[in-house]
Amino acid sequence: MTASALTRPGERDRLSVKFSEIDWRFAGLLFAIAGAGSMMLYSVSGGSWEPWAANHLIRFSLCFALMIALGLVDLRVWMASAYPVYALGLILLICVELFGYTAMGATRWLNLGFTRIQPSEIMKIGIVLALARFYHGASAKDASFSFKLLIPAAMIGAPVLLVAHQPDLGTAMLIALTGAAVMFMAGLSWKIIFTGVAGMAAAIPPFVMFVMHDYQRKRILTFLDPESDPSGSGYHIMQSTISIGSGGPLGKGYILGSQSQLEFLPEKQTDFIFAALAEEFGFVGCFSLLLLYAAVILIALRIASLSHSHFGRLSAAGVTATFALYVLINGAMVMGMAPVVGVPMPLLSYGGTVMLTVMIGFGLVMSTRVHRYLELPSGRGFFF
Amino acid sequence: MSEPAIFFSDVNERQGGFLRRAMLMGGLTSAGILALGARLGQLQLVQTGRYQTMSAENQFNFRLVPPPRGRILDRNGVVLAGNRPSFRLLVVRDETKDLDATLDAVEKLVPETANRRRSMIRDINQSPRFAPVPVANDLTWEEFARVNLHVSELPGVMADMNEARFYPFGGAFAHVIGYVAKVSDKDVARAKEGGKSPDAILFHPGFRIGKQGIEKALDEDLRGVPGGQKVEVDARGRVVGEDPEGSRPAVPGKEVVLTLDADVQNRALEVFGEESGAAVVMDIRTGDLLCLMSAPAFDANLFVGGVPSKVYRALADYERKPLLDKALSGTFPPGSTFKTMTGLAALQAGIDPKRRVHCSGGWSFGGRTFRCWKKGGHGSQDLHDAIKNSCDTYFYTMSLEIGPDRLAEVAKAFGLGDTFDIGISGQKKGIVPSTAWKKEYFKKASNPDARRWWPGETPSYAIGQGALAVNPLQLCVMTARLANTKKAVVPRLIKSIGGVEQPSGAAVPDLPFPHEHLEIVRGGMAAVANDVTGTAYRASQLGLGPIQMAGKTGTAQARNYRAGESRKNFADWNYRDHAWFVAFAPYDDPRYAISLLIQHAPHGGAADAAPRAREIMKVVLLKDPEIRKRIEQPYVEPAAPVDSGAPQDEPDSFIGSEPAAPAPQGTPQGTPQGTPT
Repeated sequence: MTASALTRPGERDRLSVKFSEIDWRFAGLLFAIAGAGSMMLYSVSGGSWEPWAANHLIRFSLCFALMIALGLVDLRVWMASAYPVYALGLILLICVELFGYTAMGATRWLNLGFTRIQPSEIMKIGIVLALARFYHGASAKDASFSFKLLIPAAMIGAPVLLVAHQPDLGTAMLIALTGAAVMFMAGLSWKIIFTGVAGMAAAIPPFVMFVMHDYQRKRILTFLDPESDPSGSGYHIMQSTISIGSGGPLGKGYILGSQSQLEFLPEKQTDFIFAALAEEFGFVGCFSLLLLYAAVILIALRIASLSHSHFGRLSAAGVTATFALYVLINGAMVMGMAPVVGVPMPLLSYGGTVMLTVMIGFGLVMSTRVHRYLELPSGRGFFF
Repeated sequence: MSEPAIFFSDVNERQGGFLRRAMLMGGLTSAGILALGARLGQLQLVQTGRYQTMSAENQFNFRLVPPPRGRILDRNGVVLAGNRPSFRLLVVRDETKDLDATLDAVEKLVPETANRRRSMIRDINQSPRFAPVPVANDLTWEEFARVNLHVSELPGVMADMNEARFYPFGGAFAHVIGYVAKVSDKDVARAKEGGKSPDAILFHPGFRIGKQGIEKALDEDLRGVPGGQKVEVDARGRVVGEDPEGSRPAVPGKEVVLTLDADVQNRALEVFGEESGAAVVMDIRTGDLLCLMSAPAFDANLFVGGVPSKVYRALADYERKPLLDKALSGTFPPGSTFKTMTGLAALQAGIDPKRRVHCSGGWSFGGRTFRCWKKGGHGSQDLHDAIKNSCDTYFYTMSLEIGPDRLAEVAKAFGLGDTFDIGISGQKKGIVPSTAWKKEYFKKASNPDARRWWPGETPSYAIGQGALAVNPLQLCVMTARLANTKKAVVPRLIKSIGGVEQPSGAAVPDLPFPHEHLEIVRGGMAAVANDVTGTAYRASQLGLGPIQMAGKTGTAQARNYRAGESRKNFADWNYRDHAWFVAFAPYDDPRYAISLLIQHAPHGGAADAAPRAREIMKVVLLKDPEIRKRIEQPYVEPAAPVDSGAPQDEPDSFIGSEPAAPAPQGTPQGTPQGTPT
């Protein structure tokens, strides 16, 4: 037992104590990544704080403060809000389906009058909370192999189908994989895992052939053979690979990347910011950044492991899984190992929505860390 | 439904399970990140060279700098084809907001573009969006200034100066030199022949390629080597920087010197007036062509900027065919000029030149009457007389003894039926008939008689009619060889390319004929021009003191006449006979040979062709310093010296197409319409 475990009852509820329990190491890593992002955004706009770099830093600072604040929120509050948040997300997704705002052929936004929101982003947090909440109240046996597993399966399936129908395959996949990761860590039987993986593998070809939209299918085919369409959708992959490869071991130097500076690199401020960094800082810079990401993920998993509550463990792990998926999918995409899907590199890419989602998630991780000794109620009701 | 089922052991079980799965999760994620790291290593450490090259290819472009095209000069260094500055208007599609509106604005600045809207849009659409496309050439200074004034309000429009091909003499050299024009798909296809990749300069907007004549034949020499400017471009192809060290200068095209003489050629075109035909002048010792002219001509400058289709149609549809190079591509019966060959063949056949034939105005053979051009007949004629008087009867009579094959042999030895390597394409061989030729020509005919040579064909052949067809260059070569008497000189048109002298036309074998035989024929030709009874006496007097010309007239039927039909003065140009004159000068020491054709001439060889040949020959002779020295020496032998200094005093009355042109001088035959054949 550590010293802190011997503190008097109620001591841990004091804000100053909670504040001291925040993992500042972890917070520092996030700052480092976001700082690198801001630095690259400064570079890709030709050495200017406008239009992205300054914005990025301001947004991150606000989100950082939000993360700290959320980290101080009692884990019981998180738990109580789990189903309501999920339900809200689901309702909003249905609203999107009914009267969403359409842009670029996809209906992903809800117009609230003063702002537009993207309910699928709420669902990224919602699915983690709801699943963690569910498993908190389920036995190990239920989590491994039982008919009760149909409940989390349905909880995942509903938003995935709604998001996929928008169509936003990238986010749908992300939600599905996040849900799967939570189920996996809750102790899903290997039998189901293997059957599921085999079933998925078998379902991919017919899915690609019959369900996907043309542009989605084209992206897949182009990924398999980028040179087939060098000026169309293969262009992104080729130029990104050229950017990364031409960076070499040490890179071309800050603000000296010809690919990003001369606009050969598409979407350089968002999805392909990693390639811009790879061009200017080379293998050394990129590998260091990957190590930062790895550290963030492993620390977050450790935070999850140290939680005394099952809800805390699973929600922190679920958020981590989402984050890891972002990193792996974006990394594989910019290096030409995965098709182009609109998944940004978290904290590095410019974009407020994803940053907000990720930082709210990390707020949950922080809360898990701060409230790691907290024992939560059994969790049979809607709130507890 | 049931009571709480989570026991302490279960809590531990869940926690233990989670820890194992979380470890696995951490392991999987680490493996994933390591895989990304490995891929990074592959791209940035192993394959980086390849990607650095690709990145540099993205970043840098070689912008072609077109080389100045080589000039074409005449033998004395007069520029026949050069380059001149031209103000151009260019449009960059990518920078215009609205192409139509931009072109409307351009139209206001340069009104001429209004007619070419459609072709301009086509040009612009065919080029890369970021490339400047020249849409108007040869702006006036005012237009150029006006465009520059408004450039800031018209994004995507600019004006610059480049070099445009220019032909100072317009028409006179149009057929020989040809012209340059826009590169067509055909040119690109030709450049790709043999699997070669075409020169990138072909795709440069505004580049011009040789289409005809010397410009086409020596295109690669004249073209030069394009320079390169290494420029940094962005993804849209816009130039953002320049790298002077990575640039290389353009190598100008080679200068081509022709054997032609601009003064002679220009005079030749001038004396043709409205008439159609060709004139060829050759140095009989070297084979150098001083004049290779086809009339009427066209202004080659029209084609450089793209000839308007209306103008092109007019040129193509005109019955006198200005686009055709008649000196090389037009084949015609040589008419009486061929009698020199027949005479030589007669001597080769062992016929005594002193043998006399009586001409009574016609000759009967095989139930047919072959008429002599002179109705009353020439009386008693030997070979010399027959050439001088161009007596048909004499040659009809001799033809049977000579035979077609000997005629063909002699004709071929003098270059008829032959093509010469003068560096440009378009020469037509023509036809030199023989028994073998007829067999071959009619080999598909169902009637075997068609393949046989009938004796009745030979008399026509002997006076240069029938199937016989030659081009003016061949007749000039024939005359040059007659004048040379020794060597079978071949013509040369290209004197040097880039300072490298081209092989001379004198390094050739000797003519396989005895000198005396050639002298006899030449004697006849001298009499044609200098004997007062010669067919072209008056028209051949040079007025250059001791320098005299020897020649032979010819009138060739352009069609068959029906019996009893008059051949005089057809109103219809197409029906008239062709007039020839071949000559060499000076007679006593031959230097130059000329052949001249007037297609469908109003009068005939002596009246239409000979005076024109004389005028051209005068320029040739006066430009030769040695001959000029002879002329300018006080000429003492005859009592009355000829005013040698003023040959231009002769009235140029033959210029123009008035049918009565030579009338003031009177023809020696006393029959203005009589056509000596």
